[in-house]
Amino acid sequence: MKLSGRVVFRDVETGVWVLEGDDGTTYQLAGGDRKLKADGQRIEAEGDVDRDVLTSAMVGPVFNVSSYRFV
Amino acid sequence: MRMVRWTLGGAALALAVTVAPACKSAESEAERPPAPPASLDNLADDVDVVPHAILVDFKDGTTQAEFDAWEADWGVDLELNSVESADEALTLAVGVDDVQGVLERIRQHPSVEAAEPLMEVRASYTPNDPEYTRQWNLKMIDMPKAWERSRGKGVVVAVLDTGIAYEDHDDFKQVPDLKGVKFVPGYDFVNDDEHANDDHGHGTHVAGTIAQATNNGEGVAGVAFEATLMPVKVLNHFGGGTTADIADAIRFAADKGANVINMSLGGGGYSQVMANAVEYARKKGVTVVAAAGNGGRARVEFPAAYAGAVAVSAVGPEGSLAPYSSYGKELDIAAPGGDKRKGDEGGILQNTIDPRDPSRSVYASYQGTSMATPHVAAVAAMLYAAGAKTPDAVEKALYAGAAKVADQAWTEQYGHGLLNAEASLASLGGGMSRWPPLYWALGLLAFVLLTLRGRERPGYLNSLLRPAFLVPLLLSTVGVYFVRTWFVSSADVTGSVVEMASLPIPDWERIIFGRRTVSPLFYSALIPVLLSLPAIGWKGLRPAVGGLALGFAGFLAYSAWAGAPALSWMPFTFLAKPWLGFNTVLCIVVARAMLKKEDAP
Repeated sequence: MKLSGRVVFRDVETGVWVLEGDDGTTYQLAGGDRKLKADGQRIEAEGDVDRDVLTSAMVGPVFNVSSYRFV
Repeated sequence: MRMVRWTLGGAALALAVTVAPACKSAESEAERPPAPPASLDNLADDVDVVPHAILVDFKDGTTQAEFDAWEADWGVDLELNSVESADEALTLAVGVDDVQGVLERIRQHPSVEAAEPLMEVRASYTPNDPEYTRQWNLKMIDMPKAWERSRGKGVVVAVLDTGIAYEDHDDFKQVPDLKGVKFVPGYDFVNDDEHANDDHGHGTHVAGTIAQATNNGEGVAGVAFEATLMPVKVLNHFGGGTTADIADAIRFAADKGANVINMSLGGGGYSQVMANAVEYARKKGVTVVAAAGNGGRARVEFPAAYAGAVAVSAVGPEGSLAPYSSYGKELDIAAPGGDKRKGDEGGILQNTIDPRDPSRSVYASYQGTSMATPHVAAVAAMLYAAGAKTPDAVEKALYAGAAKVADQAWTEQYGHGLLNAEASLASLGGGMSRWPPLYWALGLLAFVLLTLRGRERPGYLNSLLRPAFLVPLLLSTVGVYFVRTWFVSSADVTGSVVEMASLPIPDWERIIFGRRTVSPLFYSALIPVLLSLPAIGWKGLRPAVGGLALGFAGFLAYSAWAGAPALSWMPFTFLAKPWLGFNTVLCIVVARAMLKKEDAP
């Protein structure tokens, strides 16, 4: 599925990268490459949302990015 | 006639023997400086202001008649603190409504040397860990006092997380501030092996909050530092895990003897499998504690949201809900989770591994509901160690002790309030209820009477219903507690002193040595046996010693049966019950000998 939003580093727990989605949901980011970790950048990304995984960060569902571009 | 005199003498002696040490020990409690020596900045923590009570010291030589004349103007009723304080004219008043106003008026009087609110000095514990002073979170939940009551000894807390840096294995290293902490074997459900080491950094931090090695001169302190940790890895090196592994791990921990399960994790939807696992653990007597989540929204994450779990939200150093903390209708309690908006000192500091290098130890300040959750899990462990038996009892004490926020019994943000270890332990009432030892003693009395043949049996009117027999019996089972209801006014004045003296006799050693200590010598037949020696020659003493011995028998039998907190004293816990049982029998033998009528053929 396709998602757009802003990449943000959140200093909760041990620190976590999230996508503040335009759909109003916060996703915990996974996948992509290390350049994805750009605090404050807007992106459009393709990937899968895993709603079943439990995490230590507990910020929202995990979004596994397969491809993305900065917008 | 002679016999009546002897019985009266016995009663008087019994009272003297039992009450005199009470006064003496109560005094020594009041005079004893708080131990161990507290540092200056912690001194304020050790002193509680007694509400509506003031202490006024007049110039030496001021007489009762003089201050009696002044007190009408001040609207208080001053009494000398003790007979001894007549010379110094040290006086107390209770039931003062406007303490500050009254004190200001009193201080203006020329004969007054000092006037201040009455303060109660309480023992508290200050660990020597160098970074302890930065752990605002431990003071927030009143740990210095709570550590005088319990440290979670012998209770197993399973940490379902990314693992714990608990052993040197492969390229994993134990972090230094977990050295000396007790562990039981856990499991790694992610990699399916026996070594639940941490390859992430989250789980070790969480475990540190629960049971960091404390008073070891290294790093930081933990909450229940005598508890035993069970490392259970359910989250992978990115901090993610599946319902299958977690549900599996909950059942594993419950089956392997965990008393508390800490889950600083959340997400996903409702899972029947996990709900069942939580229910299973709870039925096995396990308290399950879980994080509300870090979404900062009105939705408690699973597993915290399951009915059987204690859901924990996070507050910052100011005590208000942290911005990231989730909350909602399933929320149960709030605990310090940190708020780093004003800097790292607002976070929770523990020893963990460097997330970039699992073999490297760091002291990290994190914030999150994950950090709040282990505070609650650790206090739950302390409650078990202090005698709580079921998750229901643990939860009841947790919520009863929680500091209410804005006088609300429950809110979506804080649940039943902000965690307070000291108040929760206090609400447990020492683990043993007040009256059962007396019922046990009466049951044993019936047994003793059955073993005596008709003529040897003591008469009801001339011995069993006499104060000489009943008073020692009550003192050794329920304590002076039964007297308190008769002298309510005097109990107000010396609140805590009476509180201590009202303990049953076997617990009096706590007055002398502090509340955590339970001495095997007091929890034994020693006192009745010693007192029975003079009674061999002096028959008038026998009903009193008989009552005391029966009381001890009831108290010890009930402690053994209830597995009371007292049982943690022996170097080998398994010896405690046989010891109590053996001494119960000794007490019964003494009681029987004392009550037996000698002049029977």
